[in-house]
Amino acid sequence: MRRLFAGLAAGTFLLATAACGSSDDSGSSGGSSSSGGVTTVKLGLIPIVDVAPVYLGVQKGFYEKHGLKLSITTAQGGAAIVPGVVSSQFQFGFSNMTSLMVAQSNSVPVQAVSNGIASTGVQGKDFGAITVKKGSTLESAKDLEGKKVAINTLKNINETAVRESVRKAGGDPDKVNFVELAFDQMPAALDNGQIDAAMVVEPALATVKSQGGVEIASPLVDVAPNLTVAMYFTSTQYAQQHPDVVKKFQEATAESLAYADSHPDEVRAVVTTYTKIPASVLDQVTLPKWPAEANRSSIEALEKLGEQDGLFKATPDLDKLLP
Amino acid sequence: MRGENLALGATGLAAFLALGEAVPRLGLVKEAYFPPTSRIAGALGDELADSAFWTALGDTLTGWAIGLAIAVGAGIAAGVLLSVVPHLRAATASTIEFLRPIPSVALIPLAVLLYGTELRSVLLLVVYASFWQILVQVLYGVQDVDPVAEETARSYGLGTWARVRHVLWPTALPYVMTGVRLAAAVALILAVTAELVIGAPGLGARIAVAQTSQAVPEMYALIVVTGVLGLLINVGARTVERRALAWHQSVRGEVAV
Repeated sequence: MRRLFAGLAAGTFLLATAACGSSDDSGSSGGSSSSGGVTTVKLGLIPIVDVAPVYLGVQKGFYEKHGLKLSITTAQGGAAIVPGVVSSQFQFGFSNMTSLMVAQSNSVPVQAVSNGIASTGVQGKDFGAITVKKGSTLESAKDLEGKKVAINTLKNINETAVRESVRKAGGDPDKVNFVELAFDQMPAALDNGQIDAAMVVEPALATVKSQGGVEIASPLVDVAPNLTVAMYFTSTQYAQQHPDVVKKFQEATAESLAYADSHPDEVRAVVTTYTKIPASVLDQVTLPKWPAEANRSSIEALEKLGEQDGLFKATPDLDKLLP
Repeated sequence: MRGENLALGATGLAAFLALGEAVPRLGLVKEAYFPPTSRIAGALGDELADSAFWTALGDTLTGWAIGLAIAVGAGIAAGVLLSVVPHLRAATASTIEFLRPIPSVALIPLAVLLYGTELRSVLLLVVYASFWQILVQVLYGVQDVDPVAEETARSYGLGTWARVRHVLWPTALPYVMTGVRLAAAVALILAVTAELVIGAPGLGARIAVAQTSQAVPEMYALIVVTGVLGLLINVGARTVERRALAWHQSVRGEVAV
């Protein structure tokens, strides 16, 4: 009987691995390894349009040129990335600015190294927007008072931004009823009338628009012109111990960002390799901006608003956080 | 009888698929959020032609198989040990009853902290969830040992190991097999959940990517795959169970006489 058990277990295992192979080729070692002048580093990110420049940079050989082999590991949410970087399962990660500032104000040792994405800075033509259903009576962010507004995460960058839009339109953000909902569920919830408005980003924004939804504000533009929304980061420990690797990563990423920013068609092509966004939706997607450098004054504006909304335990130290 | 059951099963499935086609077509739900069966089937066809899909399937099955193997091994070993060593069962009963109801999913933050998005975090959840299924069944199985058979074995001077092997194990086997069958299903659920929530490579992560990409038919196609996987695992586990128990009953007859 025991032999049958062992045989079965081994059999299924072999079948599973032999028939399908495994994508877990990155190995289990936590640290970076180098061989022949090429350093392998792990980058943890969420598979969304925002990170297209990195995929493009790998494809175009920008990282290889700088002596880096990038091993990309995808996670389902930012919540898995920050602990991953701090406990050095990844050497680099991708996170939005508010999360990074919250982490730093909680004494989590993170250090931003490269720009991630920026808003387009154009009202009504950003990659994120407050949208309402076709035929809704809501016309501006001020009308959101007393309404149910969906955001992906409470107490984070999108809540700060929507509150600022309401404030700028002359409304009281405290009167807005925020509910938490994943971006991908917003189009259906909006369509069914479960929510009155949604702070939605691409590609769900394209879906909302295809249903006849209307944009009433561009919150990320309202926070600051050319807001730096997200950045690539590492742990302070790694930054101190491997300044050379960080420098290579910064150079290669800056090059990738610049390339992506000027080659939108190649961006759309590379996005299909790691997401499943249908071609019809992808054509409608508004791409973000990918400046090579972060915009410090916009981050200061975001910090100030975050502090006003009570997101931070202590004021984040941008001199320490930013590269 | 078997053929009749199969026919009935196929009819039920066909009716279910037809309903899935009709409901969105009739406009009862929006096609954009619940595509008709035919579109899901089309997306499934595309998936099957994609090598990345097979890699993901392999990752999920690897997590499932390793996790289940560890849980079965550890569950049986721990169950037998707890039953054989005097007083150990009583000493651990409350701890087991405390740990057992903790949902494996609640351990996700711990798994992420310890192992990030690697296979090991999937294994942690899979093993934790399926281990208790096995352990509890082994404990029940051991309780069911016929005292007369046990006393007889003692009278004949069988040692502890021999009694475990010839009295305890055959009695516990039906329970163990039930545990394995339940654990196999639970292990699959947890493997997919872990991938879905944490983003470890596998079918679950692929479902999540389809979901965030607004690729609705692809998402349902992958969900169908997990359903089929569950079905196959259940059929497999039942086959193993039937064979194991056929063997068991004949032996038990000899023991009892």
